[in-house]
Amino acid sequence: MVIEIQEALLKGRKEEVEKLVDQALSSRIPPAQILNEGLIAGMDRLGIMFKNSEVFIPEVLVAARAMNAGLAKLEPLLVRDGIQPKGAVVIGTVKGDLHDIGKNLVAMMLRGAGYRIIDLGADVSPEKFAAAAKEGRADIVALSALLTTTMIQMKNIVETLRTHGLKIPVIIGGAPVTREYADQIKAEGFAPDAASAVEEVGKLIAR
Amino acid sequence: MTSKELVKRSLDFSSPLRVPRQLWLLPWAADHYPEELAQIQKRFPDDLITSPSFYREALKKMGDEYSPGTYIDEWGCRFENRQKGVIGEVKEPLLKDWRDIDAVRIPSERLSLDSKKVNEFCRSQSQFVLSRSCARPFEQLQFIRAPQNLYLDLADQPAELIRLLGRIHRFYCEEMELWARTEVDALVFSDDWGGQISPLISPSLWRKMFKPLYQDYVDIAHGRGKYIFMHSDGWIMDIIPDLIEIGVDALNAQLFCMDIEELGRRFKGKMTFWGEIDRQYLLSYGTAGEVRTAVKRVKESLYQDGGIIAQCEFGAGARPENVAAVFLAWEEFQASP
Repeated sequence: MVIEIQEALLKGRKEEVEKLVDQALSSRIPPAQILNEGLIAGMDRLGIMFKNSEVFIPEVLVAARAMNAGLAKLEPLLVRDGIQPKGAVVIGTVKGDLHDIGKNLVAMMLRGAGYRIIDLGADVSPEKFAAAAKEGRADIVALSALLTTTMIQMKNIVETLRTHGLKIPVIIGGAPVTREYADQIKAEGFAPDAASAVEEVGKLIAR
Repeated sequence: MTSKELVKRSLDFSSPLRVPRQLWLLPWAADHYPEELAQIQKRFPDDLITSPSFYREALKKMGDEYSPGTYIDEWGCRFENRQKGVIGEVKEPLLKDWRDIDAVRIPSERLSLDSKKVNEFCRSQSQFVLSRSCARPFEQLQFIRAPQNLYLDLADQPAELIRLLGRIHRFYCEEMELWARTEVDALVFSDDWGGQISPLISPSLWRKMFKPLYQDYVDIAHGRGKYIFMHSDGWIMDIIPDLIEIGVDALNAQLFCMDIEELGRRFKGKMTFWGEIDRQYLLSYGTAGEVRTAVKRVKESLYQDGGIIAQCEFGAGARPENVAAVFLAWEEFQASP
């Protein structure tokens, strides 16, 4: 049954995912197993396919939509069973930058991988990142920028987090951003694409 | 040899005396480096220019697209901007619900082109003249539906999407026909198809939905003896063979997102590369020496009796000395007579 959920998710079939999750629950498959072996495993497969250019943004978005539909059915049961997300990620596009397609894609992939997402949107100040990270007890802060003129805000955000005593790992991404730039501003993580962001967050949390 | 002849020789792979050049500008450059920009423009004048629009009717747009705040384009799409000198982003879709599809307004004012004035302008210039019109069906759909909705639409393929795309395309064809009847040298179309490392949508979907539209634009241009130029940001290696197949004469692409040597091996001599030099890193953070090396790499990979226009963009964050270094390097490495 969980494999069928994965397959339906990969095809972006929302109603089918909902129906299969209902069936799985009726068959007394534990919600955590449906989540981990069905939905999250499906999104893992999707991430690999995305990285290999076997699927593209439209396919990722419809799969994420199906994932969210399945997750909505499971969430109350996961809470009841005391199942925790893998971690909490505060994510946003930096101040002065309104581009959010890439950021949204990363947020969807991370949610699909089982993380709790605190999405601050676009044009987010360093102070807002720090406040949300503290309040949301974030495990990771993820920053996005599209413009060469706004990526410099990433440095301010890293510094602001440290000034507030927050030693949470920071991961950065966006068109002009490189691993070298991440090293330069002392951001712990860098991802060139959404699927790599999921892998990088996993590594940073496991450290 | 005039600028126009240089460009035509480059497009026709018939050994121009030098590589023709063109500087693209965002208002940010003039705001931050007015003197340096003036010097660059004086030292390296453009061989290609874009015709003014010469519309008889005013476009129904509001605000300044390059100023902080809200700008509404002639279609009614609302852009929000935070930075002076760069263009903003659509945050709210014009068309939230497909039931309102008929309310999407085609900017017919753009069809009020004063061809006589365009022709007078073309005759008064020695440069190669590009049309002001710029068909961009994919981007305009994004502006109308907002990007996330559009990507879902592309996956779901509702009938309304096809209908809307058809309306947009018919308008662009009509507009391009008007420009093709003027004395401009080339028509232009544009859509950003690449992410950083892959296309935004599958090449097969692109071939099904968008390639036929582009074929129409190429046919309109070539049918009137015009060249056709295209721009796309991002990694688009997979669709370049299609662009060559349909007859695109010149492509402005982010060469440095792709493997430039592979581009050369596969496509050199088959289309003209209309720039560019890396604006994501080199022009902003590189040195003049690195820029020179980059130009050399492009020249060695892509030049074949022409086939290159030395274009780069002086946009937000770029250093004027690096922009100048692009054109200095092209002078150094240009084709031998």
